[in-house]
Amino acid sequence: MPTPFYAPDFAAPVSSPWNSDQDETLRCVHIRQETHDVKTFVLAANGPRNFRYLPGQFLTLELEIGGEKINRCYTLSSTPTRPDLVSITVKRVPGGTVSNWLHDNVRVGMELGAMGPSGEFSCFKSPAKSYLFLSGGSGVTPLMSMARALHDLGSDADIVFVHCARTPADVLFAEELTLMARNMPHFRIALVCEQHTPGSNYAGHLGRLDAARLAHIAPDFMQRDVYTCGPAPFMAAVRGLLAGAGFDMPRYREESFSFETLVADAAHAPVNPEVAVENTEITYKIDLQKMGKSFTCPSDQTVLQASVAAGFRLPSSCSGGACGTCKTKKISGTVEMKHAGGIRQREIDQGWFLPCCSKPTSDIVMDR
Amino acid sequence: MTTTNATLSAQTLLTRELLARRRPGYSLEAPFYLSETILQTDMEHIFGKHWIFVAVEPQVPEAGDYITVDFGTNSILIVRDDDMNIQAFHNVCRHRGSRLCASQQGVVGNIVCPYHQWTYDLTGKLIHAKHMGDDFDPSGLGLKPVHIRNMAGLLFICLAENPPEDFEQMAAEMTPYIAPHQLSQCKVAAQIDIVEDCNWKLTMENNRECYHCMSNHPELTISLYEYGFGYQPNEDNKADLQRFQDIMAANHERWEGMGLPSAEIDTLDDRITGFRTQRLPIDRSGQSQTMNAEVASKKLLADFVDPALGGLSFWTQPNSWHHFMSDHIVSFTVLPISATKTLVRTTWCVHKDAVEGVDYTKENLTAVWNATNDQDRRLVEESQIGISTGAYQPGPYSPFTEGLVEKFCNWYVNRLSVLTR
Ligand code: FES
Ligand code: FES
Ligand SMILES: [Fe+2]
Repeated sequence: MPTPFYAPDFAAPVSSPWNSDQDETLRCVHIRQETHDVKTFVLAANGPRNFRYLPGQFLTLELEIGGEKINRCYTLSSTPTRPDLVSITVKRVPGGTVSNWLHDNVRVGMELGAMGPSGEFSCFKSPAKSYLFLSGGSGVTPLMSMARALHDLGSDADIVFVHCARTPADVLFAEELTLMARNMPHFRIALVCEQHTPGSNYAGHLGRLDAARLAHIAPDFMQRDVYTCGPAPFMAAVRGLLAGAGFDMPRYREESFSFETLVADAAHAPVNPEVAVENTEITYKIDLQKMGKSFTCPSDQTVLQASVAAGFRLPSSCSGGACGTCKTKKISGTVEMKHAGGIRQREIDQGWFLPCCSKPTSDIVMDR
Repeated sequence: MTTTNATLSAQTLLTRELLARRRPGYSLEAPFYLSETILQTDMEHIFGKHWIFVAVEPQVPEAGDYITVDFGTNSILIVRDDDMNIQAFHNVCRHRGSRLCASQQGVVGNIVCPYHQWTYDLTGKLIHAKHMGDDFDPSGLGLKPVHIRNMAGLLFICLAENPPEDFEQMAAEMTPYIAPHQLSQCKVAAQIDIVEDCNWKLTMENNRECYHCMSNHPELTISLYEYGFGYQPNEDNKADLQRFQDIMAANHERWEGMGLPSAEIDTLDDRITGFRTQRLPIDRSGQSQTMNAEVASKKLLADFVDPALGGLSFWTQPNSWHHFMSDHIVSFTVLPISATKTLVRTTWCVHKDAVEGVDYTKENLTAVWNATNDQDRRLVEESQIGISTGAYQPGPYSPFTEGLVEKFCNWYVNRLSVLTR
């Protein structure tokens, strides 16, 4: 790597704050490859500057791509407690014009038009006793900024930091999160990956963030202030999950981290199946034999969820496979059932199942 | 004395007065069989404070199996949990009191109230209650437990907070008698409930004597020696009585030699948990209580090879009797419904590998006791009617054949006297 573009004089008085009206450009001083498709671009002003912003805020880049002027917002992944530089962390996405351009064209020393910072998504606007940070994919950036700031400030804030990624290879900032967790007495991290990466030694959660998993990760989540950032379906799922649990929604805040990745990520975002109907590839037909009705159920939804979505009222109570209220005879078809004691093996052998905790693996005929 | 009496309930006063008047050697006064007030006393002190036989282990063979046992105004739920322990609870939801399980038997994953779906695991812990808010603490709302003991496959419950401790003594003495029959390795081949229109004590008293057997039970007395429960000796029966004594002595020696304890133990009226046992010879081939005294099931219990093991009889206070034979076990439980209605539940168990239609038929297995139960029902119902006429007054017991009836009444009177003092 080249010598640092900018070497501050730490003996000099505090430098003047960054002012985007005067400082119309920022210069890339460093690029870090975070994962196979995520890069962090470290940016400096032209001269000594003191970057002041709220952790969680974003910059707007003004770029000329293919002769066209394009503005894009990127959350700052850096922390104002390290005020000399800022950084943005960008994921390359299929069809993502700006993100891909950044990945392919930005070199150290290059200048980029920039405005900002702005944004309201920051736990420093309304500090709380305890937090739940929920991040999906590169939506981790504003939460990382907040966490880094709290860490640098020696905060003993009680934080559960949940990062959801597609595979262990997509997890961002794993080592740094681990370090912060080691330094901060009440900082806990939980990783949730949809799939395993063959050969990785990943030991976090496998699957998706659903109500049960969240309750497992943060049993006291109802008492926490929640900050969420990630693809739109991810955030919608989180919203639904919290609202479903009766969470006090004024204590919920969310930020979409980038228009472009938001759209592009949606197709593969780690989301709660309840919301991501449009993302499912396989859909099965569920027949209610006695009622003579049927509905469709995506393979990642429970039969009960799909029945409710389709407007049917099948008996249920716990929705978690414990009470057996939804127990129904399955006339044909196969399911993947994850119950919690609401049914006996003997009953399963006799063809009963619990729609509330069963995802179809074929078309199903139910005795309802 | 008068000041104390003033604070006592009419129920207690009536009970005390009747108990004080009881004449040993005589049957009980009419109110003991007629009065709902006395039934309340019975439910509170007899069925509420003693070990009650309610079921056999094969009624709940697998995890998740449950049965309900109703008597008086009680409903008790007995389930086998996932650790294969047998649990007993009041069959009552901790939310608004709904009865939890309405059927007499079934299978559950967890125990779910049909009303608002409060869900309890099989240890009674409340694990799910919707809409109860964030501050809801389910920890104090588990199902109310009931004491339960499994004595070699016989399930006894006790509703008292502090159950009689001498159950352990009975278990220590009785287990060697019962355990060889391996009731836990059996299955329920048949269970029949009959309701008798009489007070539960008439059912029990009738069971405790065979004075009535020869003239009323042609089927039972095929296999049952009439001398097994006392007989007045006279010139005509002297030889037969002696022959029975000899058979008994010879068989006891043989059975004891096979590791089957046979000698009589009788604590019917001198313990809180009173019981009696004896292995009695069976007439003819000596095998089983059937219409030809031969085994009803070709698949013998346990590792028995000799079908002629007589019948181990076991009586418990206040509400059961049992016959353990080489091929099957019959258990009777008596549960009051009201002062004048009583449930008699008869349960026939055979080896769990015995195949119906091959090793046994239900008809042959149950024939003797179905007939006998029906005859007994008629006898006790006629007693109930006679006692209700008002012309009844307690009559004297036979010193030869009604000693065990006297012991039943002694136990009952003693227990109530202590508990209503
Ligand atoms: S609703 Fe409780 S098990 Fe399905
Ligand atoms: S009474 Fe049982 S849940 Fe309401
Ligand atoms: Fe009889």
